[in-house]
Amino acid sequence: MGAFLYGVALQWKLDIRSKTLLITCYIVPLLFFIIMGGIFTSVMPESRAALIQSMTVFGVTMGALIGLPPSLVEIYSSDIKKVYKANGVPLILGLALTNISAYIHLFLMSIILYLAAPLAFHAEIPENPGMYFISLAVFIAVSLSIASIIGLAVKDQAKTSMFSIIIFIPSTMLSGIMFPIELLPKAFETIGKLFPASWGYKLMTEDIFKFENLLTFLLFFVFAVVMCHILLRRIEN
Amino acid sequence: MNEAIKISNLSKSYGTHIVLNGLDFSVQQGEIFALLGVNGAGKTTSLECIEGLRKYDSGNITINGIMGIQLQSASLPKYIKALEAVKLFAKWNKTSLDRATLDALGIYELSKKPYYQLSTGQKRRLHLALALTRNPDILFLDEPTAGLDVEGQISLHEQIRQLKAIGKTIILASHDMAEVENLCDRIAILSGGRVAYIGTVDQLSQTIGKHYNITIQTETGTEKYETENIGDSLLSLLMQYRERGKTITDIQIDRGSLEQHFIKVAKGE
Repeated sequence: MGAFLYGVALQWKLDIRSKTLLITCYIVPLLFFIIMGGIFTSVMPESRAALIQSMTVFGVTMGALIGLPPSLVEIYSSDIKKVYKANGVPLILGLALTNISAYIHLFLMSIILYLAAPLAFHAEIPENPGMYFISLAVFIAVSLSIASIIGLAVKDQAKTSMFSIIIFIPSTMLSGIMFPIELLPKAFETIGKLFPASWGYKLMTEDIFKFENLLTFLLFFVFAVVMCHILLRRIEN
Repeated sequence: MNEAIKISNLSKSYGTHIVLNGLDFSVQQGEIFALLGVNGAGKTTSLECIEGLRKYDSGNITINGIMGIQLQSASLPKYIKALEAVKLFAKWNKTSLDRATLDALGIYELSKKPYYQLSTGQKRRLHLALALTRNPDILFLDEPTAGLDVEGQISLHEQIRQLKAIGKTIILASHDMAEVENLCDRIAILSGGRVAYIGTVDQLSQTIGKHYNITIQTETGTEKYETENIGDSLLSLLMQYRERGKTITDIQIDRGSLEQHFIKVAKGE
């Protein structure tokens, strides 16, 4: 247990030293919040009702899909995985540590948005904060699990960025955070539902817990866990 | 002496490409043993099979003792610092590395720099320290001095000798023949996935025979000759130069290096 906790703390520090994660988990989401928050609330004052949720969905999706995979590629497409094997450490540890660390970073970024949005743009605080944070916790976990598939499946950093962006753009554009999802053509609305971001936005903007929303996340998560298991086995062999 | 490692009939293929084809050898406790071979001879594959990093198709590997593996560079996260890595490895292995070893390897000097800023030599020292965190009986060193300057090589060789002196068994893969001649008690040369030669460096020289390289320098240039009979060849060459009216300004004679012998065995000549 001591080794695991030290590993988590170390990974947390390494992520802070890594500019990639700092940029994708903090700088870009917060810049996006400052610029788009200003624009949204000026053009559409009613957007204040869901500003925290929309900015958080963008930040979490970006931090997970673009921030996490490079850390996984660094471990699993290099000799670092041999270090695990040579020391009798299960390969899954790298995946667990990077995910836990990224989870903490994304949660922190989300808290910053939660506190800053009302001050900066008079954004409305969710009616049920407890419900909001549970939804956020579920959304971050599922987003990271999907990002883990990219990090384990792709073997070089350039391709990782390409795949991450290919998934990130439709995730955010079709999630409803930029414009109401009902205004989109039906096909785009359907495509949007293939990504956790649209469900995350829905989950966090609704103040009541719906099993239907949670079931979708459970399906995403189970799919990601199965895929990660298969990919780890492939790497191990 | 007891066997630290025994390899019997080890085979490994990648698809239709046979890399190890019934490999047999053993390493005695407390010796420095080198695995040599041209690129593609199966050195790295056999080492990784022994270390447990790679699965093999058939055969037996018996290990008597705890293994410590010095991996090559680029096997740690970019931003990790030396002491953090040592602490992490120690926690994984539920051990601690004594200050004297860390001092001897100069790990404290590296404590402020992230891994990617370390020089090749500093990375090698760190990887050796990490391999030692398990307090191993058997130490695997893969190209331990590759990329090091002369001073770094001498220092690392001294550390390897000290490890042997305290009873560690050391297995190294190397391309550096001078290093092998200097350090190793025995060597195995791999060729075509099998052991082409196993024994001491001196035995190898005796097996292949004596070889001499003669370099003769004249006012017009330098010429090189190879011979197995130094007496007759040298006399004959001197007479030839005299007959041709060439003035010899310098003569050098050497017995050739293990590298030349090694290449002959590895190529199956």
